[in-house]
Amino acid sequence: MANSYDVIVIGAGPAGYVAAIRCAQLGMTTALIDEFRYKDGKPQPGGTCLNVGCIPSKALLDSSEHYHKAREELQVHGITAKDVSIDVKKMIERKDKVVRDLTGGIHQLLKANKIDFKTGHGKLTSNSTVEFTPHEGAAEELKGEYIILATGSKPIDISAAPADEKSILTSNGALDMEEVPKRLGVIGAGVIGLEMGSVWNRLGSKVVLLEAQDEFLAPVDRQVSRMAQKAFKDQGLDIRLGCRVTDTKVGKQVSVHYEDKDGKHNMQVDKLIVSVGRRPNTDGLAADDVDLLLDERGFVHVDDECRTNLPNVYAVGDVVRGPMLAHKGSEEGVMVAELIAGHPGHINYDTIPWVIYTHPEIAWVGRTETQLKSAGIPYKSGTFNFAATGRARAMEESVGMVKVISHAETDRILGVHMVGASASELIAEAVVAMEFAGSAEDLARIIHAHPTLSEAVHEAALSVSKRAIHKAN
Amino acid sequence: LAELPPAARRLVEENDLDPKQIPGTGRDGRITKEDVVRFMKGETQP
Repeated sequence: MANSYDVIVIGAGPAGYVAAIRCAQLGMTTALIDEFRYKDGKPQPGGTCLNVGCIPSKALLDSSEHYHKAREELQVHGITAKDVSIDVKKMIERKDKVVRDLTGGIHQLLKANKIDFKTGHGKLTSNSTVEFTPHEGAAEELKGEYIILATGSKPIDISAAPADEKSILTSNGALDMEEVPKRLGVIGAGVIGLEMGSVWNRLGSKVVLLEAQDEFLAPVDRQVSRMAQKAFKDQGLDIRLGCRVTDTKVGKQVSVHYEDKDGKHNMQVDKLIVSVGRRPNTDGLAADDVDLLLDERGFVHVDDECRTNLPNVYAVGDVVRGPMLAHKGSEEGVMVAELIAGHPGHINYDTIPWVIYTHPEIAWVGRTETQLKSAGIPYKSGTFNFAATGRARAMEESVGMVKVISHAETDRILGVHMVGASASELIAEAVVAMEFAGSAEDLARIIHAHPTLSEAVHEAALSVSKRAIHKAN
Repeated sequence: LAELPPAARRLVEENDLDPKQIPGTGRDGRITKEDVVRFMKGETQP
């Protein structure tokens, strides 16, 4: 039967498409429903991450970084590049091609795994039926032994600055600006705000970030966030903390009214990006008579193994509790597929790495000193600066540090925090060590290639027991 | 002994411990440094 499946997955983002592929690998007949349409109107799998998130933002971060390097950073190597210019339209086109190629790849994978990819809206009508409404044509009912909800998240809009995607943009629109705004305002100095602010700052915008919180990057280790904040300031990012946006007026420019502890202010920008957070996408997810339980913040309520309150219905990714990260959603997708197939499934939520792809990059896993202090857990820590590693100096990338935190008595690693070039890659070693319940001494006794940036991780681990070689402990 | 993670290996060697006596709580029953530290303190439960 073409309308009856072992598993129906709603949402083809990193959580949903991975769940679907894993289900198919485990021998289940699988349908994958997704309603996203790219700006050319074509349906594309991949969800937020591939289409308007992780991948396009990294594409622009890399392009803008090359431009910035060519203009500002090559001279020190004795390289003179004359008349370096940027064609923003071409930069955006390259980004679009990267997105198209990768979503095309997902398409192929779905086909290869014999997954029935259906483009349109999926609505839960019972714990074993989904109403599928294609973009064109009539709705049909699909039956599924199991159903996985992976409908993701969308940008939070604020009434003081309603997005029109022309002057006031969400993160989606910020990825498609075709010229460099002279002045760019960003509301929210979190991951998305900092990444988008960095892109346009490198291309020449005067960027001001207005952050409501008094603390910069509150979830990040203090030492790391302070080093990052200074680096961003040196790059020209104007980060203003404790600022609450009260109103905006769109004319030729955008007039942004905000308040901080010193009173009321107003600034004029050419474009304004609103990146204050994302919320779970549960709009039209379940029919009115389906009693799908949401939690108090609007997420689909699930247990530790991503089961909803409805039998045989699971939910994964941004639509459920936990960090809104692609790799978190994908792992939940895999876990659920394996649970459905009767295998044990488990996720270690304590070892999910976080990355901010600014320059320098910020990455961390596990807990910060602040969190450990408030939990009353005794710890020790060690740090090491990139400035003291040969490779970082050779690369002219000496801004950065690594901090390793371990339990005061057992030495088990509790958190690793870093800022610096390639932190996004360096964090993987810490994740592996933590997954194997490793100690700081384990990291310290593992051989690290020389010269590499990973030596900063090694030395930070050594520094926990005051044995770092290349610093006075 | 080579199968122990480096820090557990060091502790076992320094203290002349028998790894077979130490309950491992790590992945697939591996002995972590934490396990050795707790074993030496007389705590058997992780």
